[in-house]
Amino acid sequence: MNSVEFLSVTKDFGDVRAVDHLTFSIPQGSIYGLLGPNGAGKTTSLRMLMQIILPDSGSIRVFGKDEKKSYLDRIGYLPEERGLYRKMKVKDVIAFFGELHGMKPFEIKKRTAFWLERFDLLDWSDRKVEELSRGMQQKLQFIITVFHEPDLIILDEPFTGLDPVNAQLVKDTILEEHTRGATIIFSTHLMEQVEKLCDRICLIHRGRAILEGKIQDIKQKFGKNHVIVSYTGDSDFLSEPSIQSYNDYGNYVEILLAKEANPQALLKKMIRQANVHKFEVTEPSMHEIFIETVQSLGGDKNG
Amino acid sequence: MDKILTIIRREYNTRVRTKGFIISTVLIPLLLLVGFAIPVIATLMNSEKPQKIAVVDQSGQIFSHLQSVFTDTLKNGKHLYNFLPVKIEGKEVTAVKNHLTKQVEAKQIQGFLIIPANVFDTGKIQYYAKNVSNFSVNERLSRRISRIVTRIRLEKQNLDPALIQTLTKGVKLETFKVTRSGKQQKDSGATFAITYILVFMLYMAILIYGATLMRSVLEEKTSRVVEVVVSSVSPFKLMAGKILGVGAVSFTQMLIWGITLFMISVYGVSLAASLGAGDVLAKFHIPPLDPVVLLYFFLFFILGYILYSIFYAAIGAMVNSEQEAGQYQTPIIMLLVIPIMLIIPVVSNPDSTLAVSLSLFPFTAPIIMFMRISVLMPPAWQIVLSFLILGLTIWGSIWVTARIYRVGILMYGKRPNLPELWKWIKY
Repeated sequence: MNSVEFLSVTKDFGDVRAVDHLTFSIPQGSIYGLLGPNGAGKTTSLRMLMQIILPDSGSIRVFGKDEKKSYLDRIGYLPEERGLYRKMKVKDVIAFFGELHGMKPFEIKKRTAFWLERFDLLDWSDRKVEELSRGMQQKLQFIITVFHEPDLIILDEPFTGLDPVNAQLVKDTILEEHTRGATIIFSTHLMEQVEKLCDRICLIHRGRAILEGKIQDIKQKFGKNHVIVSYTGDSDFLSEPSIQSYNDYGNYVEILLAKEANPQALLKKMIRQANVHKFEVTEPSMHEIFIETVQSLGGDKNG
Repeated sequence: MDKILTIIRREYNTRVRTKGFIISTVLIPLLLLVGFAIPVIATLMNSEKPQKIAVVDQSGQIFSHLQSVFTDTLKNGKHLYNFLPVKIEGKEVTAVKNHLTKQVEAKQIQGFLIIPANVFDTGKIQYYAKNVSNFSVNERLSRRISRIVTRIRLEKQNLDPALIQTLTKGVKLETFKVTRSGKQQKDSGATFAITYILVFMLYMAILIYGATLMRSVLEEKTSRVVEVVVSSVSPFKLMAGKILGVGAVSFTQMLIWGITLFMISVYGVSLAASLGAGDVLAKFHIPPLDPVVLLYFFLFFILGYILYSIFYAAIGAMVNSEQEAGQYQTPIIMLLVIPIMLIIPVVSNPDSTLAVSLSLFPFTAPIIMFMRISVLMPPAWQIVLSFLILGLTIWGSIWVTARIYRVGILMYGKRPNLPELWKWIKY
């Protein structure tokens, strides 16, 4: 069963087509990466999913329903632009959003203590939001997103602004929510996270889905024509004809081999010129796939 | 529906608990009460002290009449003014003055009067006291003694003072308010005083709470909290909840203020009377506030607030900062100020074409129609028509502003120009 299905969804803003016959589906229980450069139509798609704006044509089915009846109580949304009521007390903000998602007062009370404890904010429950540090506000916003045990959690860049300890805490919580049964949508630019967490992705470019499916399938489609090399010494070998393109990350280089090129021949040449510490023939990283695909369509390089 | 209630509750609770709200809600009725209480208290305090006044009557004809015209009494029935004769007996006037001045300083007497022998020609007497700015004492002394002097002058000319008084009696204008029910009611400028107070309350409440709502919308937008809110409640419900929530706050305040005003106007005079100072307030002729007028006040307040607040909500959604909001607010404030500027012509001529048309025009109707109702009840069809036009305008405005609001709250950066606004409405 699919949690979310977009069927040929189109949305125009005046002369600009923000979303163009977008079709994808998110299976229940998956961790789904919604990728794409800025302005690709991700936020517009999410807003249509949450019925903030309506599509001009096409249909959106959520939890297998496409009737107007609200399913919004079952969604938790963490927007990229964070913000809370600054003058309200921490516990009142939580209660307000809990109530807005249809929770009963006794449930709210019970769970507030649990989540504040979990995120180390218990001492701050009677303080105003504006007294909290930036990181604490991020944590509070995350609590609000998952507080009502939503079946679908939408996270727009959930790790920005978090220190490594809190980022770990948030990541663990996301995985726990996934174990609980929630479907998770990641909207992000950070490909390492997508690679680590997601099982499926949809790459949106100019309002269209240009890559969709399981990460393994997508990678296989691109083939084992990538080489990751870590070396010291001369870098002349990078101009070899067997190398179609490469991306220098400083500590290592990711190489895209030309068609029919033999990785073993490349390795032999390299050893003569430089000190090779690591040589791995692999599938392309999501980062490479992202850039390659977007560039091949003439879009902005925006990773 | 539950979600609208949640929004309303949040708006209401966070606002009603602020110091600003509590202070202004309590302070205004308190000031009103104090305003009415001051004359009462002043009278109560003043009447406590008997006044001893020494009189140097060099004419020798006035002193004997004094006590008979100063009949004011204290609560215990004794005279308020007690006059003590001072004989010169060949002494210098200045020496007597000095002696009496010492007595005033020692508070043995409150003051002394010097009545010169030629008072009937010059018409001048002198009053010395520590406090010569007590208006009521000065006025009584002047008016009553001149009555005595006049009478003696007339008698000297062999004229009958009673006859002269009858012949020279002036004309006093009494005004009566004619109401639709045919009832006639003795009236004075005080009716207008109540109208002015209520009209200003209406104007201030719409202006202040409209702006409060705008700031609230803007705050949600700039803090981006609106992104989360609209993910669980539709923008329309959010807007409706906010308008009703802030409206409930202002209604609470108006209710407290209105009831205080009503109580003062109805029970003020009798309360003052029971304290022994009834005649003071009775002088103001404060007519009891008609409950029907009060009812119309709340009806027009609710409708006026809703009409203006939906535009304030749209402005809050359109702009990115309060500075930007300023220019958009100007036309709204202009529409609100027009009725206030026209308060004199409308109140003095409530059936004029100007008054009637402005009481039907939806943006001025809440204040102008209320003005007319409180001065002279207009025909029922005009009131009904005014409500109808107002209701339809609100309905149409919601349709437009809800669209602007829905798009605006999620649009950052450049504020829209007119063609862009038109696009927003069509989205």
